[in-house]
Amino acid sequence: MGALQSSPGHPEYIDLSEKTGFSIEQIGVLHKRFKQLSHNEESLRREQFEEIPDLACNPIRAQIIEAFFDKRNYHQNGEGTVNEIGFEEFLVVMSHFRPPSLHITEEQLEKVRREKLRFLFNMHDTDNDGTITLEEYRHVVEELLSRSGALGKETAKSIADAAMLEVASISMGHMEPDEFYEGITFEHFLKLLDGFEIESKMSVRFLNMDTITLCK
Amino acid sequence: MELGTPGVALARSAAEEPTGPGEEEEAGEHHHHGGGFRVVQWEWSYVQTPYIIAMWLLVASGAKILFHFSQRFTTVVPESCMLILIGLVLGGIVLIANKKQLYQLDPALFFLFLLPTIVGDAGYFMPARLFFDNLGAILTYAVVGTLWNAFCTGFCLFATKLLGVIDERVEAGLMDFLLFGALISAVDPVAVLAVFEEVHVNDTLFIIVFGESLVNDAVTVVLYKVYISFVEVGAENVQTADYFKGVASFLIVSVGGTLVGLVFAVILGFVTRFTKKVRIIEPLFVFLLVYLAYLTAELFSLSAILSMTFCGIGANKYVEANISQKSRTTVKYTMKTLASIAETIIFIFLGISAVDKSKWAWDTGLVSCTLVFIFIFRAVGVVGQTWVLNRFRLVPLDKIDQVVMSYGGLRGAVAFALVVLLDGEQVKAKDYFVATTIVVVFFTVMFQGLTIKPLVNWLKVPRSTNRKPTINEEIHERAFDHILAAVEDIAGLQGYHHWRDKWEQFDKNYLSKLLLRKSVYRKSELWEAYQKINIRDAISVIDQGGNVLTSARLSLPSMASRASFPEVTNVTNYLRENGSGVCLDLQVIDNIPGAKVEEDMETHHVLTGNLYKPRRRYQSHYSRHFMPLGEKERQDREVFQRNMRSRMETFKSTRHKRHKKERSLKKRRGSDPKDDSGDKPRRNVSWQDKDPVVVPVEPEDTKAEHSDPEKDEDVGITFIAHKVETPKQRPKSVPAALEGSPSIGSQSPPSDDPHLPWKGGVGSPPPCVSVEATKIIPVDLQQAWNQSISSLESVSSPPAPAEPVHPRISALSRLGGPRPASYTPPGSTTGSTTSISAQVSQGSFCFPEKKKKKKKEEEEEEEEEEGVQEMQPLMSFMRTPGSLPPPPPPPGSSRRRNPCVYLRSLVTAPPSGGEEPHSRGPTQL
Repeated sequence: MGALQSSPGHPEYIDLSEKTGFSIEQIGVLHKRFKQLSHNEESLRREQFEEIPDLACNPIRAQIIEAFFDKRNYHQNGEGTVNEIGFEEFLVVMSHFRPPSLHITEEQLEKVRREKLRFLFNMHDTDNDGTITLEEYRHVVEELLSRSGALGKETAKSIADAAMLEVASISMGHMEPDEFYEGITFEHFLKLLDGFEIESKMSVRFLNMDTITLCK
Repeated sequence: MELGTPGVALARSAAEEPTGPGEEEEAGEHHHHGGGFRVVQWEWSYVQTPYIIAMWLLVASGAKILFHFSQRFTTVVPESCMLILIGLVLGGIVLIANKKQLYQLDPALFFLFLLPTIVGDAGYFMPARLFFDNLGAILTYAVVGTLWNAFCTGFCLFATKLLGVIDERVEAGLMDFLLFGALISAVDPVAVLAVFEEVHVNDTLFIIVFGESLVNDAVTVVLYKVYISFVEVGAENVQTADYFKGVASFLIVSVGGTLVGLVFAVILGFVTRFTKKVRIIEPLFVFLLVYLAYLTAELFSLSAILSMTFCGIGANKYVEANISQKSRTTVKYTMKTLASIAETIIFIFLGISAVDKSKWAWDTGLVSCTLVFIFIFRAVGVVGQTWVLNRFRLVPLDKIDQVVMSYGGLRGAVAFALVVLLDGEQVKAKDYFVATTIVVVFFTVMFQGLTIKPLVNWLKVPRSTNRKPTINEEIHERAFDHILAAVEDIAGLQGYHHWRDKWEQFDKNYLSKLLLRKSVYRKSELWEAYQKINIRDAISVIDQGGNVLTSARLSLPSMASRASFPEVTNVTNYLRENGSGVCLDLQVIDNIPGAKVEEDMETHHVLTGNLYKPRRRYQSHYSRHFMPLGEKERQDREVFQRNMRSRMETFKSTRHKRHKKERSLKKRRGSDPKDDSGDKPRRNVSWQDKDPVVVPVEPEDTKAEHSDPEKDEDVGITFIAHKVETPKQRPKSVPAALEGSPSIGSQSPPSDDPHLPWKGGVGSPPPCVSVEATKIIPVDLQQAWNQSISSLESVSSPPAPAEPVHPRISALSRLGGPRPASYTPPGSTTGSTTSISAQVSQGSFCFPEKKKKKKKEEEEEEEEEEGVQEMQPLMSFMRTPGSLPPPPPPPGSSRRRNPCVYLRSLVTAPPSGGEEPHSRGPTQL
């Protein structure tokens, strides 16, 4: 309903729609949500994300929130972080979770795959040096297990170690005697999650209808 | 459920007076011998029923064996087809011999015993996550699809009857046809399982078809009952209110059945929390409660299949976590065996029933119309529903999926049992319906079952990847759950992930607390996956370790058939026997430095490196209530620990490079040069006393081991005498920390003692004798190690007591624990695939400066004059646990080997397929 009213009044939606691939209706819904989060401001800050009640018990919320403020996720060559994001950035980050459309070629699908994996990779690669180092990877696993209490930390450490070893064996195969594995590069990351149907797994169904008002 | 077989017996015995042809004659003869006391009596009538049933099963199982001899045949013909054919043959034999069919699929037998075994197995091993991920699709197909099929088939058959295609003799009205449509329309779980599990389509497709076949039972049963009552009342007397009652009945039956199942699931989870002391009957609870869920639902005429399915799905997670590993195996195998038996019986009976002409009447019109209709409506229904569903699904079902789903609509024994249950008085056309049902079942199972495999191949349907997820995939799988939930929360969507996340929190906070044992509660699933992968890895590594020994020119009998050793135990036990033999012999030999000794030494050396703890003699121990802890478990644990450690160690070296690089980028601080190049002064400082800690095994440990049969805690005795590290790469802050913390382990200077270890006197027992007093664990690995130990224990036992944490832990962990590569325990050599690399790597961490020499020697086997010299490193290597290792190797020399060795072993590790084929839960029979 909101979408229908707002689409004529928001010509910029059309640009956004072309840029992100969301439909006008979906943009309308998300805009409403954006305003709700930002209390009708033009920009969103980290604190406002942290206020979302459902997010409170998500173990990796810090990483997710950080991803929204990471310039790498806006366009190809961005770097560093920002403190405030506007609706466009919000939408661009959200668009990484758009399901791939039904009729696309194999090539396009591969592109979507890469983009999604790039997003994920950036999320892990916190210092933006092109590799996920063991420390970074450990951090990810630790956060994932942070719900399981005291055991989590040690377990996470060993799991991350084992996982890293696995990466080394998958991506390097036979290693030369004096070669060492330094961290997961993006190419290795692609290879690593080759059998992982990322295009379907990293997708959220965005609604065309405005249900937020109904649920709140 | 385990009452299955006696149940069969009871059901049979009522119907059977005469017996099979051969036995009867013999029985007759023997009965005439009466009079007086007989030493040997012929008690055929007494054992008859169970005997026949056992023979049936034996024949069927024997046929299965024969069937599976031919590889080519099995890939083409599904087992269910073969079973039906056997049934036809057997039925034909019995019919010819007796002129009368004795055996019939008895509906009570089918519904009370055979069906629950299959459904119980399917439900319990159902991949719950996949099921709930696709719940929407499953429910749609099951409810809407089945209703659509039932009505369309019913109405269309009635229409063709009016058109005169179906013969006049078939006396059936609209209600009869609707009834028939209802029972013939449901896709059958038994048939679907039997066929689809051999086809190996991808998981999503499988779960949709199979889930549908399970859930549509509710629809079928309700429709069937409603129509039966309508037929009884007479179609003209049915009032509008009755239709609404029908709808209400459907809701009650399905929801009620589900609820009953869930209640039993909670009870089951709760009960298994407390079965620690009664391990033997642990599996029994699982069977009983799951079966009771079925019976209870049946008692209230709710959907029993739904009840059982949901009981299985719901309880699986908690039960599997609560019960011990052995109970898990028991449950798994018993369920699979029972389900297999039930399936065999059902299909054979289907074959037998088909032979008996007196039970059915043929009408070509009805049969062909039914076949055409069910096929068309199935296809139309699937396409239509998929079109709607795809608008909502993230992963749309494409055309190929739809074809397979349409074609996979197999009908089976449920339909047959329902049609046999019909009352011939009420439904005049029963015989015709029976014939049609048999034809439909045969057609779908035989024809479609035979052709679905080629079809799937031809359409290139994505198959299930027969592999376990890697750790990384596992991690990301989990990460995605949270990421998607977070995105949905941020976007303000109350989608699937949002609710699943909510459910998981609820489960974590309340359900798991209630239903899981405390010791299990804290463990994470990810950890479990990790542990499984580790064990798998370790086992494959051990297999390769066996190879190392064969090719290492040891004086062991050749083990040509090594590749065929099915289990690790065999190999290692075998080696142990030989190994200990070698040991004893060598004690007699004088210490003459020479090739002989050298060779012995190598044998000894390799054995020490590769063998695991000596096996204790199996305690002769009998108890009805406890099972002695198997050797295997202990062994697995040991293998696991070793492998883990070697992984960690190699990995640390991997990591170190990076660390070093980072450091070199920065300005070097004072001690760095020393770390990098100043290794010479430190050469004589053994790493041993710095890093590993020799922790005395707590006395309770060993005591408890004897007193408590359940206690698994006799771990931690290892052969590892020492670890050598290059001080060179030591992180610079460690020395500072070390100064404050004197090593606990006993120290002795590097020894020049040239004697063989077994000559070393009392202080150094031969390594083949288990050294039970100490356990050496690298400090910074202690915690991880403890976890690995405790996770390997049966689930109930409490987590291993934390080892005293060495002060250095903190220092090391702050640094991220970078570590020299050569810090590798002997266990790591098990990973090497060739003898040379094994020996070289072993040699290299002992006396790397001699590596070149050693290597050469091993390649050419010529340098006998070096005997004594070579012996020295080996000697000291075999010291008692407390003794010190020789001086550490020069930089880089030893560091090179291990990652290489390790990685090779990891890469060549055979895929999991052989060990534990990726099972789609319910289908593995």
